[in-house]
Amino acid sequence: MHNSQLEKRRRFDVRMLVFYAAVPLFLGLLMMQVLKLQWFEHDRYALQAEQNRLNIVPLLPVRGEITDVQGRGLAINRIAYSIQLISERVAKMDDTLVTLTTMLHWSDKKLANVRKRIKHARPDRPVLLDDKLSWGQVAPLAARLHLLPGVDVEAGSYREYPYGALASHVVGYLSLARKNDIDAGYFPNEFIGRTGVEKAFEQVLQGKPGYQQEEVDALGRRVAVLKRSPSTMGHTLRLSLDIDVQKAASDALGDRTGAVVVMNVHTGEIIALLSKPGYDTNHFITGLELDQWQAWLNDPEKPLLNRTMQAAYPPGSTFKLVTAFAGLQHGAPLATGSTFCPGFVQLGNRKLRCWKRTGHGKVSLHKALVQSCDVYFYKLGDQLGMKAISNAAEAWGLGEKTGIQLSPESRGTVPSQSPYMMSAIKNNASTRKKWFRGETMITAIGQGTLTVTPLQMARLAAAIANGGKVLRPQLLADAPTQVMHQVVVSRAHLRTIRTAMRGVVADPHGTAHRVLGRAPWAVAGKTGTAQVIEMSQGKKKGRSEDHLQKRLRDHAWFMGYAPYKNPKIAIAVLVEHGGHGGSAAGPVVAAVIRAMAAKDASVGLKQ
Amino acid sequence: MRTLKSLDWVLLASLFCFAALGMVTLYAAVYQGDAGLWHKQAIFWGVGLVVFVGLCLMPLRLLGLACWPMYGAALLLLLLVPLIGDVHMGARRWLDMGVMNLQPSEIMKWALMFVLANWFATREARGWVEILVPLLLTVLPAALIMMQPDLGTTLVLLFAATALIIAAGLPWRLLGLAVAAALASLPLLWHFMHDYQKQRVLTLLDPQSDPLGAGYHVIQSTIAIGSGGLLGKGFLHGTQARLHFLPEQHTDFIFSVLAEEGGFIAVALLLFLYGVLIMRILWIAHQAHSRFASLLCIGIAAMFTLYITVNIGMVSGIFPVVGLPLPFISYGGSALVTMLAATGLVMRVAIESKGQIPWQRPGSPLA
Repeated sequence: MHNSQLEKRRRFDVRMLVFYAAVPLFLGLLMMQVLKLQWFEHDRYALQAEQNRLNIVPLLPVRGEITDVQGRGLAINRIAYSIQLISERVAKMDDTLVTLTTMLHWSDKKLANVRKRIKHARPDRPVLLDDKLSWGQVAPLAARLHLLPGVDVEAGSYREYPYGALASHVVGYLSLARKNDIDAGYFPNEFIGRTGVEKAFEQVLQGKPGYQQEEVDALGRRVAVLKRSPSTMGHTLRLSLDIDVQKAASDALGDRTGAVVVMNVHTGEIIALLSKPGYDTNHFITGLELDQWQAWLNDPEKPLLNRTMQAAYPPGSTFKLVTAFAGLQHGAPLATGSTFCPGFVQLGNRKLRCWKRTGHGKVSLHKALVQSCDVYFYKLGDQLGMKAISNAAEAWGLGEKTGIQLSPESRGTVPSQSPYMMSAIKNNASTRKKWFRGETMITAIGQGTLTVTPLQMARLAAAIANGGKVLRPQLLADAPTQVMHQVVVSRAHLRTIRTAMRGVVADPHGTAHRVLGRAPWAVAGKTGTAQVIEMSQGKKKGRSEDHLQKRLRDHAWFMGYAPYKNPKIAIAVLVEHGGHGGSAAGPVVAAVIRAMAAKDASVGLKQ
Repeated sequence: MRTLKSLDWVLLASLFCFAALGMVTLYAAVYQGDAGLWHKQAIFWGVGLVVFVGLCLMPLRLLGLACWPMYGAALLLLLLVPLIGDVHMGARRWLDMGVMNLQPSEIMKWALMFVLANWFATREARGWVEILVPLLLTVLPAALIMMQPDLGTTLVLLFAATALIIAAGLPWRLLGLAVAAALASLPLLWHFMHDYQKQRVLTLLDPQSDPLGAGYHVIQSTIAIGSGGLLGKGFLHGTQARLHFLPEQHTDFIFSVLAEEGGFIAVALLLFLYGVLIMRILWIAHQAHSRFASLLCIGIAAMFTLYITVNIGMVSGIFPVVGLPLPFISYGGSALVTMLAATGLVMRVAIESKGQIPWQRPGSPLA
């Protein structure tokens, strides 16, 4: 018994030794693990703790404003509230969106759009869900923000276009950064210029983003701002555009589609650049509803198209000025002589008609321009040939981009540039030659394959007024004048053409006399009536233009400059399917001239 | 007076160190949150010390008498839990007793320790009956608690029981056999584990597999510990703690607050204090005047060791997330009072053994 008791005790002592040894083992294991974390892996965890707590928030710059020449805002910034969301911090996305939908009264379509945006954005970057909200709209939400982790209400500025559709094509619009923009370094809640000046001067208007280093808690809520480097506002741009003139042109054009370009003849500064119909650019900032965008895209009137420079039209009779210059320069017999207009020209079995079927009688260059005799120019064109006409067109700046800082720009078409025309020039087959001769004669009166943009025509008018300087159109006020090329033209020839252009308005027989004869400034110019489709003159016989379907009606043109003696502005007006150039385009010119004359005293135009 | 003279001063001093370190750490943990918890914990310390003093004065033989009825009652309550217990955080552990919520598994933890100590007070674990009876006494409640589910308490139960049986002389061969059997039954255990428990184990193996879900707690607490470095970020300067990146930072995850703000220095101090406490309890067990007292102390030492290992192991990413508090440091009244009660029992053993010869040593009255 005694021995077994001793043995029991001895065994217990051994077991105790095991326990004494085991405890340091357990504690040592823990010690090693902590040492591993705190010593060997300390740097890594220290960095992770920093990343945990620090959040770099971009501070978007305020975009530069855009004003007209008198400083009236065309694109301005207004204070409003926006809703942003960082998806990785949202606990329950569906619940959050339901709450936001009820509080902000989102439509189903808006909600779907929001979902799409969240899906495309990086989960750690803020996504703009809604903006341009008033305080009244966001106040209930702001009070419940603590229940919605990841959602934030931000005060910020949004773009407003006070003149909306009136200057839409010049000013352009913004839209939210898309996937490729974000990949290029834009922030998902940043707006980017998509068209017009907003796009052309994006770099200048943009400004520089700043950032804010914030300390955030586990729910991503800001606890403190540690560092702040403010953003820099973009530059404000003053355009040479005068919104009064733009408005006068717009009112005069009414609800007709068309384009008006007004340009300073000496500097190339754009005073008005109107394309009708316009579209309200403010829709893009609110997050354009897809319906509205589709409606604009599908509208047969094509409101998104900038007709002053993105669309090319046959110039019609306004092109006769170029043919006339070519005739004078090449010393074509008819340029200094005269011909008889019986109302048509016979070319083989084809009859090319003059717009005045009774004929103009004896016509010289001056009379042919003033009364826009087609027969005279058919014959002059025939004497010159296609190459001389094309060369003159190119010399005066047609068939090339004007270099205006808006894009995309159409260059129009000068026949010599089209390959099939060139092959026709080289081809001597007689049928081709015959066809080509007719084509040349039609080109001489501004029909056929020849097309121009209203901006090119305004520039052409300016070049005639300023002595042959083909200018680069400038959008910014006080921009340095750039002469793209100088037309080689004699003073005498210029005088001849200018006098004829004045005659168009001043001569009682002039095609624009009725509408522009009493304008406050003496206007010199040329009307044009461009055929939309090939239509034999016979078919038109006996029908008034009003009976033609609108889309078949001719485009009405006017291009010219004023005042005649001391030119200041060049104008080109195009009224799509407007009918006759003088009666349709003339009143628009008159309205512009009135607007210009009214403010002539206050606005000192650069000479 | 005799009692006061025979107090174990090392044990008492370590308690006061824990009180100081615990309250300072808790202050940091609730600094940005509910500071009222700090005052509550101070009151819990007060209550716990009263219980401690009470148990210091209670003769140990009372335990010997009370242990069997206590075990029976605890087993009955455990059987009641699945029927009428409250569901709290997805587990059915609590019985609503009117004034307070009772966790029968807590009572069973103590009852089992007393019963096993009592059983082996006169026996050695070296016969079939001597081993099978305690095994049954352990496995029955362990299975019930596991089903609640409460993995933490189950582990405590099994660990303390194992330590007791080893101390009671279980042959090493049998122990080896048991360990082998336990390892072999792991797949079976896996089968019976709840999904969230499985998830925790999987998360431990690869925390990054679910960084925002189950892995989040472990990732954030290891970041807190690791970023603390050797010297810590300074009192109240822990960013992980202050910005609420740590889950339950005043209860189960309080160690990461201590490690973040106090660094390795504080961790080493805490582990040293735990070492002193447990080694002292073992020493008291070694010197105890009766075999019952020895075994009781060993059970308590095992309990402390498991709490500490599982808690720190969990927070630092060695073990899966198992909800066990860090003794004396974590916020929580019942856990603190339990720990102080355990220390009180050990102190009572020290008091009764003072001046006595350890049991069955040559010269001891029982030898």
